[in-house]
Amino acid sequence: MSEWEPKITAFLCNWCSYGAADLAGIGRMQHTPAHRVIRVPCSGRISPKFILAAFRRGVDGIWVSG
Amino acid sequence: MMKGLLEYMGTEPGRLHFSWISSAESTKFVEVANTVAEEVKALGPAKHFIKEKAEVA
Amino acid sequence: MLEYVGKIRDIARRLLSENKVDVVIGFRQGTIPMMSEPAVVSRPEDVDELYWDYNCGINLTNYLTKRTDRIGVVAKGCDSRNIVTHIVENQIKREQLYIIGVPCHGMIDRSRILAALDGQEPTAVVVNDTEIVVTGPGFERKFNRQEYLQNNCATCIHRNPVVYDELVAEKVEEQKLDDRYADVKKIEAMSPDEKWAFFDKILAPCLRCYACRNACPLCYCPTCFVDESRPQWLGKSIDPTDVRTFHFLRAYHCAGRCTDCGACERACPVNIPVRLLTKKLNMDVEDLYGFEPGMVPDVRPPLDVYRPDDPGGFIK
Repeated sequence: MSEWEPKITAFLCNWCSYGAADLAGIGRMQHTPAHRVIRVPCSGRISPKFILAAFRRGVDGIWVSG
Repeated sequence: MMKGLLEYMGTEPGRLHFSWISSAESTKFVEVANTVAEEVKALGPAKHFIKEKAEVA
Repeated sequence: MLEYVGKIRDIARRLLSENKVDVVIGFRQGTIPMMSEPAVVSRPEDVDELYWDYNCGINLTNYLTKRTDRIGVVAKGCDSRNIVTHIVENQIKREQLYIIGVPCHGMIDRSRILAALDGQEPTAVVVNDTEIVVTGPGFERKFNRQEYLQNNCATCIHRNPVVYDELVAEKVEEQKLDDRYADVKKIEAMSPDEKWAFFDKILAPCLRCYACRNACPLCYCPTCFVDESRPQWLGKSIDPTDVRTFHFLRAYHCAGRCTDCGACERACPVNIPVRLLTKKLNMDVEDLYGFEPGMVPDVRPPLDVYRPDDPGGFIK
C-alpha cells in the first residue's frame, strides 16, 4: 500500500447497479477496489442525510447509482 | 440540487457522483466505477465535513 | 402604513361579530419598539389589539399549521405564498381561511438599526415614507427607510398577496430588480476552499438555538431531523461539522418551498445570514425547474414530483 487509495461509499440500487456489479463479478472484470458498496432496495431511498452522514464519517467520495 | 448546495458550501465538485446503470450494463459499471475512483483520487483525501470528535449519543 | 391598522381592525371586527371565523391571527404592538408580535384575537371587543407597522416580519403562516378552526389571517406577500405552500402540503384547508391581504412596503431591519445605535436604547420608533426616526433618552437618529429594509424585503418581487379574500389597501407597485441573486453569485464564483472558509466564518457564531427552524413556516415535521436519535444524524454540540450539517439540511428541506420571507434571518439572535443558503436553492429551483414556490395553488413543489423532463445533467 504505497499509493493512497480513496474510500468511496457506493449506494447501489438492488435492481440496477448492484446487478451490474454482480454481472461484472461474474464476467471477472477488473476494476478499482476503492468502493465500499451499500446495497439499497431502490436509489430513490437515498436521502441527503445519508450522503452527509457518510461524509461526516470521513469518506473521500460518494457514488449514488440507480 | 443537493450537489449544488454541497459545492456552494465548499465541497469539491467530483466528490459526489450520480449515475444510472442497468443491471445488464456491467461494462458501464466498471467504466463508471473507475472514473469515479480516479476523480476522487485526483482530489486527494477529504478535508472537510468530517466529524473529528467522537459521536456521543 | 398606519391607515392599514384601522382597516385590519374593521375587517377583524366584522368577521368575528358575524361569526365568519373563530379567531383572527394578526400582529399587536410589542412591549419594546420594533418588536411587533403575533396576536390571536377571538372576541370582537379585543380587535383593537391588532396593529400593523414596519416590524411585522414574522411569518404568520407558522401559526396556521394543522389548525382545525376557521381562521382570519393577516397576510403580506410572503405570508400569502406560504399559505399557498401550506395548502399544497395539506397543512391547512383553503375553506378554513379568510385571508386579509396586506400589500407590503417591506419590513425594517431591526438588528441593523440596533447595531447602528451602538448600545443606545431606543424608546420610540416612527417610520414615515422615507425615514425611520429612532428616539431614546437623549438622542434622536434618522435612518433612510429604503436602506434599512430587511435584506429579503429589499430583494422582494412579490409584495402583494397572491391569495386573499380581501385587501386592506390598493396593491403596491412591485419592485423591479436587476439581479436578486447577486450575493449568491458572488459566493459561487469563489473556489471550493474559499467557500468553505467563508461559510466557516459565517456559521461560527451559531449556538444551535434552532430559532431559524422554529420561525420557519415550512418546518412543521413532528420530529425534526436534528431531534432524531435512532439513527442520530448529527450531534447536538456546536462542533463546526454539526453546525454545518444542521444548516445544510435545514436549507435543503426548504428547497423548492422557501418563499424568502426572511423569518429565519430575523429570528437569528447572532445575525447569521442563513438566507444565503436557502436563496441559493431558490435560485437553482428557478433555473432548473422554472418554479417559484407559493405562487399557484395545486402545483406540487418540483422536488416532490417526477417529470420525464426533469433536469438530469448531473447523472452519468
